[in-house]
Amino acid sequence: MALWGMVIDLDRCTGCQACVMACKAENNVPAVGAKEATRGRIISWMQVLTEESEERTRFLPRPCLQCDDPPCIKVCPVYATYRNPEGIVAQIYARCIGCRFCMAACPYTAKYFNWLRYQREAPGQNPDVSVRPKGVVEKCTFCHHRLQKARERARAERRDLAPGEYVPACAETCPSRAIAFGDLSDHGSEVARLARSPRAFRLGEELGTKPKVIYLSETEAHRRA
Amino acid sequence: MPDPSLQRDAALFAPIAQTGRGFYFTLVVLGIAILWGAVAYWTQFEYGLGVTGLQQPVSWGFYVTNFVFFIGISHAGTLISAILRLSKAEWRRPITRMAEVITVMVLFIGAGQILVDLGRPDRMMNIILYGRYQSPLLWDATSISAYLFASTIYLYLPLIPDIAILRDHLGKHRFLYAVLAMGWTGTPRQQKILNRAIAILAIMVIPIAVSVHTVVSFVFSMTIQPAWHSSIFGPYFVAGAIFSGIAALIVAMAVIRRIHRLQAYLKPIHFRYLGYLLLVMTLLWFYLTFAEYLTGYYGNGPEEMKVFWSKFTGPFWPTFWGMVALNFVIPMALLVRLQHHAVGKTVAASACIVAGMWLERFNIIVPTLSNPRLPFPETMYWPTWVEWGETAGSFGLFILFYVLFVKFFPIISIWEIREGREVGLKEVEERLLTYLPDGTEPEPARRHTKVPT
Amino acid sequence: MNGRPSPFDRAVRACQWAIAGLTLVFITAIVLWIVHLIRTAWRLGDVASASIGISLVAIPLFLTLLGVGLSVFWGLLRGGDRR
Repeated sequence: MALWGMVIDLDRCTGCQACVMACKAENNVPAVGAKEATRGRIISWMQVLTEESEERTRFLPRPCLQCDDPPCIKVCPVYATYRNPEGIVAQIYARCIGCRFCMAACPYTAKYFNWLRYQREAPGQNPDVSVRPKGVVEKCTFCHHRLQKARERARAERRDLAPGEYVPACAETCPSRAIAFGDLSDHGSEVARLARSPRAFRLGEELGTKPKVIYLSETEAHRRA
Repeated sequence: MPDPSLQRDAALFAPIAQTGRGFYFTLVVLGIAILWGAVAYWTQFEYGLGVTGLQQPVSWGFYVTNFVFFIGISHAGTLISAILRLSKAEWRRPITRMAEVITVMVLFIGAGQILVDLGRPDRMMNIILYGRYQSPLLWDATSISAYLFASTIYLYLPLIPDIAILRDHLGKHRFLYAVLAMGWTGTPRQQKILNRAIAILAIMVIPIAVSVHTVVSFVFSMTIQPAWHSSIFGPYFVAGAIFSGIAALIVAMAVIRRIHRLQAYLKPIHFRYLGYLLLVMTLLWFYLTFAEYLTGYYGNGPEEMKVFWSKFTGPFWPTFWGMVALNFVIPMALLVRLQHHAVGKTVAASACIVAGMWLERFNIIVPTLSNPRLPFPETMYWPTWVEWGETAGSFGLFILFYVLFVKFFPIISIWEIREGREVGLKEVEERLLTYLPDGTEPEPARRHTKVPT
Repeated sequence: MNGRPSPFDRAVRACQWAIAGLTLVFITAIVLWIVHLIRTAWRLGDVASASIGISLVAIPLFLTLLGVGLSVFWGLLRGGDRR
């Protein structure tokens, strides 16, 4: 069974936000409008945060970290969010009751809420991704629908899924190739190799959430060493 | 009412027998508050939670604060009444019923807050169909339903003899009272059954009440968020609940005493004794708050400190220091000396504490959510008219339930007061003798000494 | 009052039985619900231990409360003198 993971090289990230836009287009993430945005309701599954310290400024692209031991799924009262066998933390929009307990429990603030009905089904949307109704929580799914499509294609051609066939929109788009994606359980894959790099670190490692999004940074590695 | 023993307690029937203009005036005022709440909720139901001030990352605000607050107030009742009953405190007699009514009424309001908070109230049934016990929300659901059921019976059982009195003597709502009296005629056998059941419930209700606010605190402390993930939260919430519960009870007592002219039953001594209890709880609350914050401060974890400073000097300083003033400084000043003006002082302290404990719940929930671990741009949570309306409506509904209860049932237990006169006095004297060295004879002058039990 | 009870008394009695019946239904529903949650957790491979642990405390508690309620109902019904 694959264990999907992502490696983001912060030394390469330029903060261009291409991943954010690609994600929004791919996943039908609603544009909430200026008024809602000023009220703090922007939905952005991939969000580029700016970390400012005395020495320098650093960009931190943050998708859902797809924790292997996610704090959000424990607290869900209705099984609306769960970790699937391949390690992707899924959200069932049709099941969610909108209690927002998972949002309060997520240490990375990676979950978003549809405060209003932000969009309806319309032409120009990605038909592979359902449009979320009001009152439910949504989040990055590692473009799970792309995995389903890739797997179906492979099955139709009677072969195994090849590495690189399933890549989320953000990784595909990144112009500086800062985002690598693949199977962490495959020892030889690019992500597994990068995850073993001395530059590698995970956000909030001490929380024991075991994120499957791994960051690379020279300075961070020095700071931690 | 020809019965002379009933004549003596006529003041206790008065609120049921006669309805004054004040009653209708109160209904109108409460109706306006409830209407505001209804309009607010309807708006929210129609458009979604976006009409509130909630946002990313402050996904919980007034509603969850109200939930914790109201469930906390519910500890007034049953817990205090059970403890006073079990410890045979004779001064409990006019108070227990009022306390128990608070519990039952406020539990409905508290549990309702969670439903108001849902983004998809139409999917409420999912909790029942697909609920999972790993979520602390389900612990709450179970614990609160047990508490609601237990405290409803615990309110109802001591009410039965009073309902029978109303059935036989009032002449109004006869069918209602006849049904609820459950065929009570006051035979020794019935009394035995009832007293035993009350005693069993008084014991059972205490652990249930403790469990309720413990699991309410678990909603927060089971997460790994800074300033929530703390093992002190269970006892801290329970102590805070009893604290705010006693305060709410004192306020209710004062209002009822004033409106229904029950000064003869609710005397300064009742306020003074409850005031002492409140003083102890004030100190306990301060002790737990101190322990909680000092631990965070001394540990100096960066995330914890972000929340800490946002409360002490940051954007939440008004609510934080307001809480300290209302929950500790003012009550301490008022409650240390209660020899004179006991009623005024305890009521003033209690009003402060009710407000202060609401702020305490707010201070626990919102600052933690406002300070996420990752460097998000700073945002501030401001409630809109919807949250204010819902809160006003919730308070209005609670008070309405209470007022209606007072209209239909005696708010001071008639039979327990009577029992105090007829049995209690003698019993206390006998009990006192068992405390003393053997062979102590009651002095002939005992009629003039006070029995402070 | 001897002989047949009046319609009033009969209606009162019926309502009292209805209240006792509703209590019984309410508690039975809660117990069934808890059992259903254990079953769901088991079938979905969720944390069944949490549901079993809670049910070990909750079910006896609800049944005891029901027992107290119904015993009072029954006791008062039989213990009253016929007026």
